[in-house]
Order: sequence, then C-alpha cells, then structure tokens
Amino acid sequence: MAISVKVMKRPEAGRTSYMRATLKGMSLTFKHLVRPQAATLEYPEEQPDLHPRWRGTHRMEVHADGRPKCVACGLCPTVCPANCIRLVGGEDDQGVRYPIVYEIDEFRCIFCGMCQEVCPVEAIHVGHHFENAEYERDRFVYDLDRLMDQDHSTTLLWDPSDRRSE
Amino acid sequence: MPDNGRSPAGAATVTLTIDDREVTVPKGTSLLEAAALQGTALPHYCYHPGLSAPAQCRICLVEVEGAPKLQPSCVTMAQDGQVVKTDSPEALKMRKGVLEFYLVNHPLDCPICDMSGECKLQDYVFAEGREHGRGREPKRVFGRDDFGGDVLYYGDRCVMCTRCVRFMDEVARDSRLTVVERGSRAVIDTFFDEGLEGASFAGNVVDICPVGALVSKDFLHKARAWDLDSTPSVCPGCSQGCNIELHTRDNLVQRLKPRENAEVNGHWMCDFGRANYEGLNRGGRLEAPAAGRGAKRRPAGWDEALGQLFARLQAAAGADVKIVGSAEWSCEGLAALAAVGAETGEVSARVFRSRCAADEDRLPGFPALARRRDLAPNVDGARTLGFSRVGGEDAAGGLEEVAAHDGVLFVLGDDLADQEAAFGEAASLFVYMGAHGSEAAANADFVLPVTTFAEQEGTFVNVQQRVQRFWPGLRAPGEARPAWLVLGALLAALRGGEAAPASAAAAFSWLAGERAAFAGLSYEGLGAEGAPLAAPAGGNGAA
Repeated sequence: MAISVKVMKRPEAGRTSYMRATLKGMSLTFKHLVRPQAATLEYPEEQPDLHPRWRGTHRMEVHADGRPKCVACGLCPTVCPANCIRLVGGEDDQGVRYPIVYEIDEFRCIFCGMCQEVCPVEAIHVGHHFENAEYERDRFVYDLDRLMDQDHSTTLLWDPSDRRSE
Repeated sequence: MPDNGRSPAGAATVTLTIDDREVTVPKGTSLLEAAALQGTALPHYCYHPGLSAPAQCRICLVEVEGAPKLQPSCVTMAQDGQVVKTDSPEALKMRKGVLEFYLVNHPLDCPICDMSGECKLQDYVFAEGREHGRGREPKRVFGRDDFGGDVLYYGDRCVMCTRCVRFMDEVARDSRLTVVERGSRAVIDTFFDEGLEGASFAGNVVDICPVGALVSKDFLHKARAWDLDSTPSVCPGCSQGCNIELHTRDNLVQRLKPRENAEVNGHWMCDFGRANYEGLNRGGRLEAPAAGRGAKRRPAGWDEALGQLFARLQAAAGADVKIVGSAEWSCEGLAALAAVGAETGEVSARVFRSRCAADEDRLPGFPALARRRDLAPNVDGARTLGFSRVGGEDAAGGLEEVAAHDGVLFVLGDDLADQEAAFGEAASLFVYMGAHGSEAAANADFVLPVTTFAEQEGTFVNVQQRVQRFWPGLRAPGEARPAWLVLGALLAALRGGEAAPASAAAAFSWLAGERAAFAGLSYEGLGAEGAPLAAPAGGNGAA
C-alpha cells in the first residue's frame, strides 16, 4: 500500500498574527496564578490517595492467635504468571497444614493480584502500599514473617457494594 | 456389522450400540469397559480393573433400552443388540443426584487435600455435578485415623467405594480393613490396633483410593499433583522390575506410582519399592570427568579424557582385564563395558555386587508379582551379559582379587563403599565410572561421571527375562553422560571406523546385534511394556 502524505496548508510567513494565541496562553497562566490547580504532589510530605483497587506490596493475613491463614494449597504459585512465589507446605504439631516456606519476590512480581483472587482462604493479599525501596536486592524477597508483619490495608479486587463487579 | 457371534480368532464377541455408535467387544465385557473401548469414559468409584465390582457407588449408572431402571455399567454385561445411552438426560440427572449425595458430608477441603488435582470426586463434580451445593445442615466430622505403615485415613473425604477393603481381601489376601458402622457414620477401619503396619503391599490402597481419603504419609503435603511430572520407568527396588512412574518436581523424585503392566505387576507394586526412591535424589554427584591418579588428578573435558583413555587402552592392548559392573546400570552400558574390556585384552573377571533379601515377598492375589530376593533392577540383565555375582548379601566384599589386580581395571556404577583407598593400587590402568565419587577411586586414572537410570534412556532385564525400557525423569548433573554413550564412543574408536551409538535406540540395536540373547528385539518394539528375551539366559561373551 502506498503511503499517502497529507500536506498541511500553512499561512505564509509574515501574513499571520500570533497575538491571539499568546493571549490565550497567558490567560491560562494568570488563571493558575489566582486559583492554583495542584497537579504536583509534595511527596513524600504529602502521600497520594491510593485507589481501593490499587495493587501494591503483598500482605499475609493472620488468625487471631498469630498463625498465618495460609493453608499451603499451592494455588498462588500455580496461578502466578511471573512465577515469583515459592511455597513449601508442611504440617504443624496440631496436624494443620501450613506453609513452612512462603516467599514472594517483589522484584519478579507484576502485581496482577491473581494470587489474592485465587486464594481459597483469603490469606495472601496485595495491598495499598508501594514504598519498598531497599539497600540490598535480597531484601526484596519477602518471607512469611515479613509478609505477616505488613500492616497496610489490603486491596479490594471488586466493589463489595456492587454484586455485578464480583 | 453382521452378527455372527464369533470373531476371526474364535472368541465369542457381542455387538452393541453405545451412544449411537456400534462397538464389538468380547463376551463378558461390562458396559463400562465396552464404553471405554468405544471412547466414552464413564465415571466410577467402586469399579477397578484389578478388583471385583460390587456396584455400590452408583456413579456409573447408564440407560439401557428396555431395562426398567438405570443400570450400573460396571456389572451389567454387554449383550448383543443392546442400546446403551451414557449421556441421556435421565442418566445425567441420576448421576448428578448421586454426586450431590456424595458431597452432603464431604468437607470440600480441596485446598489442603493431597489428592486435589487427581481426585475423581473433583473431576466428576466438575464435569457432571451441580454448580452450587444446597446443603444447609452441618456436616459430620470424623477427623483422621493413622492406619499404620505409610497410610493415613481421612474419614470425612471417603466415598465408601471399598476399593481398599477389597484390595486387602482379594489381592493382598490379608483382610485388615473393613467398613464399620452404617449410613452416614460408616468409616473404613482396621481391626484392633494392628492397622496396616507390616502389610507389605498396603501402599496400593493409597493409589486405588479415588479420593483423598487414603493418603501416603511420606508424600503428605509434599507436592501438588499438578506440579508433578510423570515419567514411565522401572522400579529399581528389586529384580521384579515393576513398571512405575517417576513423579518428579524440581529435579527430585517425589514419589513412585505403579504403572499398569499385566505381565509384570498388574496395577500394583510393593511398599519396599515405593519407599525406595531416596537414592535417586542423593546429592554429591560426580559432575565432570577427571584424569590422573591421586594428587595428579586434574579435571578434563570429555574429549580430552576419552582421547587420553583411548590412547592408554591401545597401549595396554592384550593386558589382563577385570571388570566390576553394577546391577543398577542399563544393559546397554554393561554390554558396552564388556565389549570395551574384550577389545582391550583378555577379560579374566566380569563381576557385580548387589544386595539380597532373605526371602521373597509375594502378592497372593497376583502371584506374578513379588518383592524378589535380588534387590537390584538389572541382576538378570547383568547375568545375561556374562557378569557374575560376587560378595555378600549386603553387597560388600568379594573384590579382593580385583583390588589387587595388576592389569586393566574397569569399575562401572559400583561405589566401592566398603573398599580401602588402596583399591586398584597395582592396576596398570584403572577406570572408574560412577554417579558418586568414592574413596576407593583414589587410584583411578580416569574418573568419569555417568548418569543413573533415572536420568537416561535404556533397558533392564527383570527376573522373568523381560527386557523393559525406562525413560529419563531427572536432569543429569553437570557433564554426566549415559554409560552407553561414553563406552559406545570408546568402543567405536577401539574397533576403528564403527559408528558410535548416538541414541539409546542405536545403543540397543547395537546390543541386539552383538548379543544372541537380545537378537530379534527392537527398541521401538519393546514399547512401554517390554518384551521377553529371545534366549532364556546365559549369554555368550562378546567378540
């Protein structure tokens, strides 16, 4: 297919005035001077307002007695498209299945939220948190204790008031 | 098809219609088996091809034209002119209802159930069951019961198919399991406290349990069914050579499961073999070839090591050769080793060592299967290839003559764990090929890493003189290569101009051409089930 080129017709030099456009631009500038519209956020003094469906750092929910809710069913490492979850299941002294090893590599993670979606016991969540800077790369692999220690609020994957969204 | 009631072979057959398709089956075939032959998999719990069918699970109900009620297809025999509908609305409705009853007390604990992913209740409910449960009543709870041995019983998940009870009755002939109580309170239980402890084939009840009621303690919470890769193989536990599947994950064998072979092991395998996989996961493997004796040993590439070895073998031509093989290595590797030895000089000893048990342990309901006395998979293959067994029942000793040998010495696959560091000190050339290093290999001029049977293709010969293939389920560590590949290349060079086998199939066809016992067998022809050796035993030496 041949490429069609549309040639724009431009006014000849010296035959047009930019006065109107300049005034239009300046009026916007003065409008902001009188009534500022803050697009800039003074981060980190000001924190952004995270959307309810914001998917950030993971968090493991815990039972009242401090045990992780995870039952090591293996669905999150199975569903994870980035293959960032490592799980070794086992049995505790009460005969309850629990994760001996549960690690999420936050570097590999693409924060799709499927781990939360697939979890049958609502244990693993993505959350309203994004400040994960570290001095060492190894620290980005979060182990079970660290996931349980997270205290940020968790993501709502759907709007609970709207049944259709589920 | 004209109905003459006789197939060409003379066996009586019947022709019936299943789901609008005609199928001809031998007389005495059940509708369930006939449907399977025709390509329709009917759900079933209590039916198992290796057991009797009590028709009590009611999940295989089908509509048979003319019959007043739906018929359990596992016990209804196929008859001439029968018209069977497996997916009529009536049959589907009935099966849906049966499945709903199964879920009345089922805990639905799939996330923590070891059977999840290979569970028949999961499969059937997903395929034919209701989308949502309607139960509001609380479910009855049993908890779990340790049956002893390797078996754990979760009563809540049980569907009361009684396969385990019938296995212990009919096949193991050791009635240790029974159903106690009735109705919703019914559970499988053992008599007194004895449990399944000491029953040497009890692990099979875990395999035949269609749900997660009976699970293996060894495999408990270890891996999910969908994470496992399955490779057809042969059990290395004894010379019976049960057909098995290696279930692997992360390059480790997680469990062994029996693979059906009517000639060798039926659907079963023994607990000894089942538990005997840790050796395949053993670390500390030899990973790179090395040349040089003692302190002079240096790592060498395969080309370099084999080149040097070839030169040394040529220089040693006519020497006295002693060979130590292993009954855990494939026929191709052992035959190539024997041939390399014969090509080098006079072979004065071909020996192997293997562990022996005091007696056999037979499965009464399937007498062809027993845990044999020889506790290595290729004892009969090694014997066929001219190796003879030395040493004690614990695979120790018997190598005094070999250790002090002053000619050429080959060791393949034997760890020499009981031997002194002075082993092979006097040997003019000592070649050690194995999966693991050994202190006794200090005097070896060449240490060559070879793969175990789980990491390569090859064949074993079992106690029935049956040649059986196995496939690689694990990745070989480092530069380890199959013994037939290493020795095949060496042999081709020694014989000059012969093509080295580049695949296991080529190695086997070389073996079939070299040894009369293997003549007439083809690698493809062995298939997954194997084939008997041409001659009974006592193969003649090569070349």
